[in-house]
Amino acid sequence: MLTVDKLNVEIEGTRVLRDLSLSLRSGVCTVLIGRNGAGKTTTLRSIMGLIPRISGTVVLEGREIQDLPANRRAGMGIGYAPEDRRLIPDFSIEENILLPTLALKLPAEERRERLNQVFDFLPQLKDLRARPGGGVSGGQGKMVALGRALTVADKVLFLDEPFQGLAPALALEYARTLSRLRKYRPDLALLITESTPALLREVADEELQIERGEILQTATA
Amino acid sequence: MLQTLIPLAVDALANAALIFFVAVGLTLVFSVLRILNVAHGSFYSIGAYVAASVGLWIVGAGLPDWLTFPALFLSAAVVAAILGPLLEKTLVSWTYGKSEAVQVLVTFALFLILEDLQRIVFGVQSVYQDTPMAMLGISEIGGIVYLNYQLLLIGFAAALLIALRIFITRSRTGRLLAAVVADREVSEALGIDTKRMFMIAFTLGVFLAALGGALATPTTGVSPGLGADTMVLAFAVAAIGGLGQVEGAAIASVIVAAAKVLAIYFAPSLDAVAPYLVMLAVLLVKPYGLFGSGSTRKI
Ligand SMILES: Nc1ncnc2c1ncn2[C@@H]1O[C@H](COP(=O)(O)OP(=O)(O)OP(=O)(O)O)[C@@H](O)[C@H]1O
Ligand SMILES: [Mg+2]
Repeated sequence: MLTVDKLNVEIEGTRVLRDLSLSLRSGVCTVLIGRNGAGKTTTLRSIMGLIPRISGTVVLEGREIQDLPANRRAGMGIGYAPEDRRLIPDFSIEENILLPTLALKLPAEERRERLNQVFDFLPQLKDLRARPGGGVSGGQGKMVALGRALTVADKVLFLDEPFQGLAPALALEYARTLSRLRKYRPDLALLITESTPALLREVADEELQIERGEILQTATA
Repeated sequence: MLQTLIPLAVDALANAALIFFVAVGLTLVFSVLRILNVAHGSFYSIGAYVAASVGLWIVGAGLPDWLTFPALFLSAAVVAAILGPLLEKTLVSWTYGKSEAVQVLVTFALFLILEDLQRIVFGVQSVYQDTPMAMLGISEIGGIVYLNYQLLLIGFAAALLIALRIFITRSRTGRLLAAVVADREVSEALGIDTKRMFMIAFTLGVFLAALGGALATPTTGVSPGLGADTMVLAFAVAAIGGLGQVEGAAIASVIVAAAKVLAIYFAPSLDAVAPYLVMLAVLLVKPYGLFGSGSTRKI
């Protein structure tokens, strides 16, 4: 589905990703584990095209996308839920969820349809729909960010440290949601980053370790 | 008392209307592009020169006088359609991500270039074209005489304020712009063509400034130095209202214009500094302006 080959990225003169290669398959949940500063966020941001790379390719379904502007990736079916939620504070929750579909100029019926799908899958968001993005709790915000990414994630979904900052009960609930997601969207290629792997054992098919910008070994969970 | 106060108020509001056109564009460009464009005032004077020249041509060619009204808007639109994309795609986009010092220097260089170009194209004489104002005439209500054109300016500015608010809260482009203001990177990742949004915001800013200049010509005419004068006023307004604040810019325009008109009337020697004295007073109390805040970004 999505293949990254020998990606090299520098931030302010320091090499942050070194020959990073990984491959995501439809229906497979890949977990990228690494300590703080290992390069997890940078991996996702560079696949999304948000930071320039030195070399390497990103191939989505046979098409090289590494040189396309970042905004084109959402339209190609890649959903991305960044670290720290990053909701638009003065947009309502509903508007936050719909933002990618608005950006992609989807027709009104299609947008409503996708919103309803998100509400079907995450019914708790329905009650929050009118609240401002800046007025929900951290846990609720994570769900909104997941819903927002799902509106355009036809093929691939990136979740950057979804458990970070969640209280244990909420983290468990989020993990259950991810298990449900596997059944609800069986074709999706998932890439989830995490610093502590325990919570993801349930959902992970494949585990990758990243250290100082390098993938260490491939183990199957 | 009222006989003095009401004309003063109308004068202040008409001045505020013109300043608002420029300042709201400056603040819009700042919110979306995060660039303080020092050359922004030049778009006002270019709009004024083009509108005055077109107006003179219309009258000189013996065309109907009423054509000078649509010509004001058309002139601004042409200035924006040419200069907006051209400058944004070249000089301005080159400064994205560079330090503020570089941005100020580059846009200041742009200001100098635009000032010289205006001298070359339009000369150093004042240009005056007041057909629209003369056509509208005056009205007398309760013994007070009003210039109808001034009332029209106030109406236009109020309409612009409402239209901008509706544009930002209701239209697709307006929502995407607001998202870019709040979080550029996430907007890009969610599929918003942020480069296109920069171009749209910059061009809209040029249009509003040029329209302000065009609408000003019938009352004040245009002469060299107008761009610089306007820039400092617009900057004072943006600082008082809070950079990025549309309604803030409207209220600050009224404050600045009132300070200026009151100074002209009661203390003529303070006329030029009055707006900055007000700005200084506001910034001492509220460093981010009356409606601005240091943290959240919104328009
Ligand atoms: N904006 C930046 N400026 C300078 N260095 C940066 C920047 N962003 C990331 N880095 C560096 O790049 C490396 C990888 O960072 P990255 O954010 O990808 O790590 P991470 O694995 O996501 O960590 P965390 O678990 O803390 O989120 C780190 O060494 C970090 O210091
Ligand atoms: Mg990270």
